[in-house]
Amino acid sequence: MKIAVCIKRVPDSETRVKIAADGKSLDEAGVKFVLNPYDEFAVEEALRRKEQAGAGEVAVFCLGPAAAQETIRTALAMGADRGVLLSVDKIPADPLESAKVLAAELKSSSWDLILFGRMAIDDYNTQVGTLVAELLDLPCVSAVSHLDIEGAKGVAEREIEGGIEVVDFPLPAVLTTDKGLNEPRYPALKGIMAAKKKPLDIKPVQPGTGTLEIAALTPPPARKEGRIVGEGAGAVGELVRLLREEAKVL
Amino acid sequence: MAEIVPAQYQPALPLEKLIIPDGAAGAGDRMELDVLIVGAGPAGLACAIELARLAKADGAELNIGVLEKAEALGEHSLSGAVVNPRAFRELFPDVKDEDFPFRQTVTRESVYLLTQRGKFRLPTPPTMHNRSFYIASLCEIVRWLGAKAEELGVNVFTGFPAAQLLTRESTVAGVRTAPAGLDRQGNPTPGGTAPNDLVAKVTALAEGTRGLLAQAWCQWQHVPSENPQIFALGVKELWETKQTLDRVIHTLGWPLPKDAFGGSFVYPLEPNLIALGLVVGLDYRDAALDVHVLLQQFKHHPLMREFLAGGEMVEWGAKTIPEGGFYSLPQRRAGDGVVLLGDAAGFVDVPSLKGIHYAMQSGIYAGRAILQNLKNGTKLTEYDRLVNASYIARDLYRTRNMRLAFRDGFYLGGLQAGLMTLTGGRFPGGKYEMHADADVPRTLRFAPTRPSGVSKVDAVFKSGNSTRDSIPSHLIAAQDVSGDVARFYSHVCPAGVYEATENGLRINAPNCVDCKATDVLGPRWTPREGGSGPRYKRM
Repeated sequence: MKIAVCIKRVPDSETRVKIAADGKSLDEAGVKFVLNPYDEFAVEEALRRKEQAGAGEVAVFCLGPAAAQETIRTALAMGADRGVLLSVDKIPADPLESAKVLAAELKSSSWDLILFGRMAIDDYNTQVGTLVAELLDLPCVSAVSHLDIEGAKGVAEREIEGGIEVVDFPLPAVLTTDKGLNEPRYPALKGIMAAKKKPLDIKPVQPGTGTLEIAALTPPPARKEGRIVGEGAGAVGELVRLLREEAKVL
Repeated sequence: MAEIVPAQYQPALPLEKLIIPDGAAGAGDRMELDVLIVGAGPAGLACAIELARLAKADGAELNIGVLEKAEALGEHSLSGAVVNPRAFRELFPDVKDEDFPFRQTVTRESVYLLTQRGKFRLPTPPTMHNRSFYIASLCEIVRWLGAKAEELGVNVFTGFPAAQLLTRESTVAGVRTAPAGLDRQGNPTPGGTAPNDLVAKVTALAEGTRGLLAQAWCQWQHVPSENPQIFALGVKELWETKQTLDRVIHTLGWPLPKDAFGGSFVYPLEPNLIALGLVVGLDYRDAALDVHVLLQQFKHHPLMREFLAGGEMVEWGAKTIPEGGFYSLPQRRAGDGVVLLGDAAGFVDVPSLKGIHYAMQSGIYAGRAILQNLKNGTKLTEYDRLVNASYIARDLYRTRNMRLAFRDGFYLGGLQAGLMTLTGGRFPGGKYEMHADADVPRTLRFAPTRPSGVSKVDAVFKSGNSTRDSIPSHLIAAQDVSGDVARFYSHVCPAGVYEATENGLRINAPNCVDCKATDVLGPRWTPREGGSGPRYKRM
């Protein structure tokens, strides 16, 4: 089984995000970056598929700055075999441009599966995986929460509103992984040691500027302060009235 | 009046679990290293850097590993901090001061004695002069040192707490790490990992304050100290402020009771980024004293209100400090296959409020002694010799009784400490006897304090703690403690781990930020799954 996993370096979800002085990017000073949590499911799934098959390769691709080598090492420590950094100063705002760069790189080899996380927790675009599938002319199932593969055929389950969608697909295919697909492994000491010696290619790339531009970033409006309506049973009437008339939630 | 003697309710150190023979069943992977360092703090990383560099200069290739329980470098490190750059300069002779991971130089400093509403400016005690030292975040220092160590080929394993000492007869052979992924009952789960055994020719214990394995080793090898080690608890907040602060401030007095030792610190990392905290010796007498609550009161003092108005607390943390000084140092800090560094050994000078450069310096000496040991078979006691002949021992000896004098209360203690300063430590000679903190009786006063400011729940959130809720408890408490003792624990712990309920003591273990305060006075702390606990960024 030959599997490519595309991963992204994102700010830790615990990070207190600050907007930079230019008003349209994040201030990265002191921000801790991690492997995108949805991509962890993709890496884990790739490793399990390879382990089940008993042979194959898991290669990790990352479009990002030089510091994203650390993110790749995390995936290598989990067990991936090699990594490729598509090195840019800044990841393009237009997901199509990211997809083009990744597709161009992936095209040079043949894969049984190409895995992405369902989305990156920094921009929530949910696009690059499906765009890559389109560019490579491969079938795509997004947000996979359960997966069975038999030979060259796969069955994937997606959680949709009020139910589960079951999708048959032929391999090779592009899948994006959702929570629930698996429980990513804890990195092992031996894996961390081994990761230092695994191949990591750095290839500078020049993505196009695309058609999207970030005009401004603004933090969400501060939540209004709460109000204590009163105490005891006597306050219930007033609370209900306020919920109905002022908050308009009843 | 009812009294609590905390030691009566404290479980013994579980030595049979902490010291196990190398090769004992139960481990997953086994890894062999030349040198294993437990704890990626200033002591452990300085040791790794000095050792790697000396080995390289010698043409030798050493496999050096550093274990760290935090998920990423620096996330369990907390200090004031004003740093004496001496050890930095020794470790990096080619790096200029401005390239060290420091923030501002201290240019002005003030010491105040506070009353509830007033303040009296005091002359800065000679031991507390900080001019030309640097204000810094220990998290940032540790991340910088970690990067330097990795550049030299040191393997830094974050997210792996050392849980047990592996031994061969009286020799330390390495450590066993804590398992990960256990369920609430402590059973392994499919995604989890078994403990790993790391064995090495030399193990350096640089676990930090109240180091579990360092304590276990001293007990196991019967290494005494003249006085028991004593501790203080520091609770710290980081504020982004509207007002600017141009100097370092220390205060004594209010809101501490007169029979407690401690004070506050206020350090501007940037003119609008202010670290502030309160440190209280854990030999206080009032069972209801709560350092976190006192810090909240302190912020309402007119001196602080002015700086904090309109500002925002961005981070919170807590940590104990070994305060015993010279007489609390273990009689030796080296044994067969093992050395003790930094806070784990007790290298802190309370009168100058400094420990970071002593920790790093001890790491540098350990690095040198370990290389000699590996190369020529020189005994590791060479490390003790280097420390004893250095400014670490000299500084700690000069102030040997100063902190101890405060067992007699604030005024009498202050007077004696002043005379000690004037006489270079010769007054009054001899040694002040100390009790272990847990042996100091507490009086039940339990006057209800109105909570104000930051709640302990919010505090834990601001520490970045996102420990898995389904983790088994890592804290060992005595069975069925009384309501009074449960309430005492609830005040000792700054993170709301302990709650006194109608049904007795309730332990919210995931809240724990590894400060070790109740490990000193009550329930024992043990390591849990790697990456648990706080995620400090700029503490």
